[in-house]
Amino acid sequence: MSVENVLFWVFALGIVSSAFLVILARNPVHSAMALVGAFFFLAAEYVLLWAHTIAVLQVLVYAGAIMVLFLFVIMLLSLTDADLQPGQVTLARVVGGASAAGLCLVMVETLSKTKGAGQVIAGEQTQVFGTLAEMGRVIYTQYLFPFEAVSLLLLVAIVGAVVVAKARI
Amino acid sequence: MTPLAPYLPIAAVLGVAGVLAVAISAIATFLGPKRFDPVKFDTFECGNEPIGSARQRFAVKFYVVALLFIVFDVEAVFLYPWAVNFKALGWFGYMEMVVFAATVVVGLIYVWKKGALELES
Amino acid sequence: MNIPSLTFLDFQPVLPALLLAVGGIVLLLTEVFQSAATINRAYQSMVALAFSAVAGAVAAATTLEPAREVFLGFGVSDPFSGAVTVLVCVGLGLSVLVSAGFLRHRNAERGEFYALLLFAGAGMSLLAMSNEFITLFINLEVMSVSTYALSAWLRRGTRPSEAGFKYFILGAFSAAILVYGASLLYGATGTTKLSELAGLLPAAVASNPGLTYLGAGLVAVGLAFKVAAVPFHMWTPDVYEGAPTPVSALMSAGVKATAFASLVRVFLPFAQDLGPNHAQLMTYAFAALALLTMVVGNLMALPQRNVKRMLAYSSVAHAGYLLLGVAALFARPTGGEGPLAVTPLLAGAEGAARQQTLQAILFYLLAYTVTSLGSFGALAALERREDEPRGTAWDLEKFAGLSQRKPGWALAMAAMMLSLGGIPPTVGFMGKLFIFRAAVDAGLVWLAVAGVLASAAGVYYYLRVVVYMYMRPSQDGVTVPERQWTTELALVLSTAAVVLLGVAPGTLSAWLGKASVLFSQ
Repeated sequence: MSVENVLFWVFALGIVSSAFLVILARNPVHSAMALVGAFFFLAAEYVLLWAHTIAVLQVLVYAGAIMVLFLFVIMLLSLTDADLQPGQVTLARVVGGASAAGLCLVMVETLSKTKGAGQVIAGEQTQVFGTLAEMGRVIYTQYLFPFEAVSLLLLVAIVGAVVVAKARI
Repeated sequence: MTPLAPYLPIAAVLGVAGVLAVAISAIATFLGPKRFDPVKFDTFECGNEPIGSARQRFAVKFYVVALLFIVFDVEAVFLYPWAVNFKALGWFGYMEMVVFAATVVVGLIYVWKKGALELES
Repeated sequence: MNIPSLTFLDFQPVLPALLLAVGGIVLLLTEVFQSAATINRAYQSMVALAFSAVAGAVAAATTLEPAREVFLGFGVSDPFSGAVTVLVCVGLGLSVLVSAGFLRHRNAERGEFYALLLFAGAGMSLLAMSNEFITLFINLEVMSVSTYALSAWLRRGTRPSEAGFKYFILGAFSAAILVYGASLLYGATGTTKLSELAGLLPAAVASNPGLTYLGAGLVAVGLAFKVAAVPFHMWTPDVYEGAPTPVSALMSAGVKATAFASLVRVFLPFAQDLGPNHAQLMTYAFAALALLTMVVGNLMALPQRNVKRMLAYSSVAHAGYLLLGVAALFARPTGGEGPLAVTPLLAGAEGAARQQTLQAILFYLLAYTVTSLGSFGALAALERREDEPRGTAWDLEKFAGLSQRKPGWALAMAAMMLSLGGIPPTVGFMGKLFIFRAAVDAGLVWLAVAGVLASAAGVYYYLRVVVYMYMRPSQDGVTVPERQWTTELALVLSTAAVVLLGVAPGTLSAWLGKASVLFSQ
């Protein structure tokens, strides 16, 4: 078993256990911190997949910026235990759970057909794959249409945030 | 060929940081003197009795700032892959980024003039 | 590095969207660069109207150009996308006209409102021509984020906040579901481009059926949220009620029209390239969705005494009639054996039939756009700011005796109600005629019958408004807001369109017929 294979399982265990912490922790701030952990382990998995840029962005944008907003919303709502409904079995939850189980089944079915599943196949990629330069090459040549559309999306997000949340407009 | 080679220094830093964090708390626990009395267990707050929960509700006005932060963060992310390809992309890439940045800068001018960056009372 | 060579032909199809975006930017900047003391906002609606009109004219002028891929296949310019852009601009223009008076009455007129409207329009236009999942998602978000902010525009009170919040949360979930589906399809086929997806689907279904079906299903669910199809319609009544009336109008017209355009663009290749069994499966699926949407939408609208909620449920019902058209698009007649005897589309000889069905869908979208804008416009003219906190602004009683107090408004509203109910001589009747005929031609006779029955139930609650306006005495002390020429212009324009297109739909439907060409065909 190579180093990559060992690390894959270490990081995978990290993702799953911190994800469980996210939903099991009673304190929402603890959940958010566990989510940061999940993001970090996920970034490590991206590295194993040669997705270097995505790994960096995962830490920079998700563990950095998005988590700020998460914590912010938690503090904005400042929910207490009384606000949090205890778990009840509702139709929506049953349907949701069944859908999640179905999704898992499909994933398992697909992965079991894939050759070499559960093993990190190292050495197939070239050194440049997944680097910032390689990503840029694709984004700014092939993907220019969605790229420019992103600028419009960012502008709309700015205006939308101001319109919804600013005290006086 | 492994994707991990460049991350060896990062792993080293993480390791050192982890060891240091554990070591410092361990040393403090084992070596520090422990003398407890009721005054020490009291909340330390300038002599005032603490009133109510420390978890105050955050004002929504910070939300605008937080959201603007994310938007410009994402914009900056798009600058990196462009910058490392700057020469290869040439004028084509330059014009692309001008259009992109100009659109977001319109947003910046808007929030600036609108006063959304000033925290209102 | 391969620098792509772009020509004017790449940029020409996005010109309408570009115009709308520039219009939005102009409005944003002029809003903040005026000094607060002397600020005058009367120009804003006119600027927004001018930009929508020019964008619509540009789109109309270039609609019938031959279909081609633009921006390296990430977008596609075909007559269908051009026609949808024209529809969006019509909706946008009417919505701007209604907004001007509506916002002035509430002292809520700001440049940002029109800017967001125009940005939403730009997103819709780009969405109609998106030919790749990442592009599609981003443009869908441009449209959606604008409408989230717009639906919470009137920030006082709980209703607008509820509308904005609900729409945002459910919209974000539906977008996430769509992206998840697209990523599964990417996993199964290795491409996100719709044009390449078509060729790779048969192999993907053979090797990874679960992944492919689940991916396609999730994409369909994501889009079904946007068109408000049952059972993904729960947000509709609350959002439409809480959003400013002109925004509800645009949501029911523009958002729905472009979401349908995306639905057709994404799923037509599935029906075309996956063989007879899959086309039949898709026909079943969309027929079931259509049936459910028509029945539930109409039944839920029946007891509503709140006209705005009634229009929201009616919008759900109309999504059902449109889904009926979509189901017909995926099917072809065999000669009538059994209730669901259909054979799938094959390339070539069936092309004409498919074009006819697309034409029916486009015509229905146009009919619903003008009618919906007109009915929400009449509601906007009538509703008073004072009644909003108590939630009585849209009571059926407010329409009592309107024919005596405001005969013009009553006439416009009556025309809109007849059109929504599908009663001649209105455009709504022609739209229903075309779409039910397409369903019958496709062998979905039972579904067409169900559609006719459902719309017959709909006539009851549409005519109830007419009865209140013409046969009930006016309540004491009921006043209406002062007249706004912009709102009245929108009413005149939409009433004229509803009646003229209902009497003589020939020219326009012929044009839409020529525009019913997708790149993938």
